[in-house]
Amino acid sequence: MKFDTIAAGVYPELVYPPYKSTLKRGPLQPALRINAPVPVGENIAPSPRILLPFDTDLTAQGDGAPLGEKIVVTGRVVDEDGKPVRNSLLEVWQCNAAGRYRHKKDQHDAPLDPNFNGWGKMMTDDEGRYRFVTIKPGPYPWGNHHKAWRPAHIHFSLFGNVYAQRLVTQMYFPSDPLFDYDPIFQSIPDLAARRRLISRFSLEETVSDQMLGYEFDIVLRGRNATPMGI
Amino acid sequence: MTTPITTSQTIGPFSHEAWQWAVDLGTVASAAAGGITIAGTIYDGDGVPINDAQIEAWQPGAAGVEAALDVPAFRRIPSDDQGGFTFTLADIALAPGQPVAYVTVFARGLVKHQFTAVFLADDAKLAKSAILEQVPAARRPTLLATKTADGQYRWDIRMQGDMETAFFDYV
Repeated sequence: MKFDTIAAGVYPELVYPPYKSTLKRGPLQPALRINAPVPVGENIAPSPRILLPFDTDLTAQGDGAPLGEKIVVTGRVVDEDGKPVRNSLLEVWQCNAAGRYRHKKDQHDAPLDPNFNGWGKMMTDDEGRYRFVTIKPGPYPWGNHHKAWRPAHIHFSLFGNVYAQRLVTQMYFPSDPLFDYDPIFQSIPDLAARRRLISRFSLEETVSDQMLGYEFDIVLRGRNATPMGI
Repeated sequence: MTTPITTSQTIGPFSHEAWQWAVDLGTVASAAAGGITIAGTIYDGDGVPINDAQIEAWQPGAAGVEAALDVPAFRRIPSDDQGGFTFTLADIALAPGQPVAYVTVFARGLVKHQFTAVFLADDAKLAKSAILEQVPAARRPTLLATKTADGQYRWDIRMQGDMETAFFDYV
């Protein structure tokens, strides 16, 4: 595949002072454009054995139903040509409805839910589509500054069809009042690029009286994929 | 006309439980692999170890010999409390000039993952590397693992500073 230079402002700023942890962790030198056939032509190839029964239903990993608003999240993963990224590994993780992660370092004074882990994984189908059921995550405070609260989000980790397509990002929910105050979201200079991280409510994906549906399409870098999608 | 891409966001501090399944697979794979071990530390711009990074190492040439594994040729390693990481690769012949592993770095405070690669400082064929020759000579040492014992190499990752690791954007 070919990987064009990405327009300025689309990626977040690697050193963005309002997000304090970037100051000493963001590389200061520009990334080197490297021509290397392997990362743009091959990838890791996970076995279907890695997929566990409840990896796409995060509400079914406990003994009972988790608390909170059950939702379904779905979308298509495509490349820059709009071609589906098929049979590609996707991981998701998130906090629970109260804004608490099941993680030893999460100190937020909100309850864990014994019936909610907050992680899953799946492969995209022949159309590049993925779908999982979960609980709508809550906002939560963090230590970046006074009254720092993250907008509700779900983390996505995607492997693409070739190694150079790897992406980790966050999906947000429509009309979150915290967008304007979140330096992680604001670290993306380009307004349109920010907005592409916001899922859209979908009546079509809404399931009867069970759960509201949200759509989040993802465009990975790369064009000129081989006809078979590798 | 191309479709605009979905941008990146930080992995944050809370990936570990969700990412653990692949860490476990990599631990098993490392234990069974008979190749070299690479150990190092990831540092921030103040030289402080980063204790909540995730490192992914990919050894594409090992896909065949590790075909029976659930994720062949792949190791995912969370940095430990001292910023340390270690992985063992499959024992395969190194293609001239190729890195021993392609590496991706993720961390809280890193808003976009960083690609890099690790080569062996004592590889006699380094001069033939089509990748290294695209890296300014002064920065090449940041990609070289140095031998510390038989089969053992040390390679640190530095996010900033005089020895900031050369990070890649693939063409």
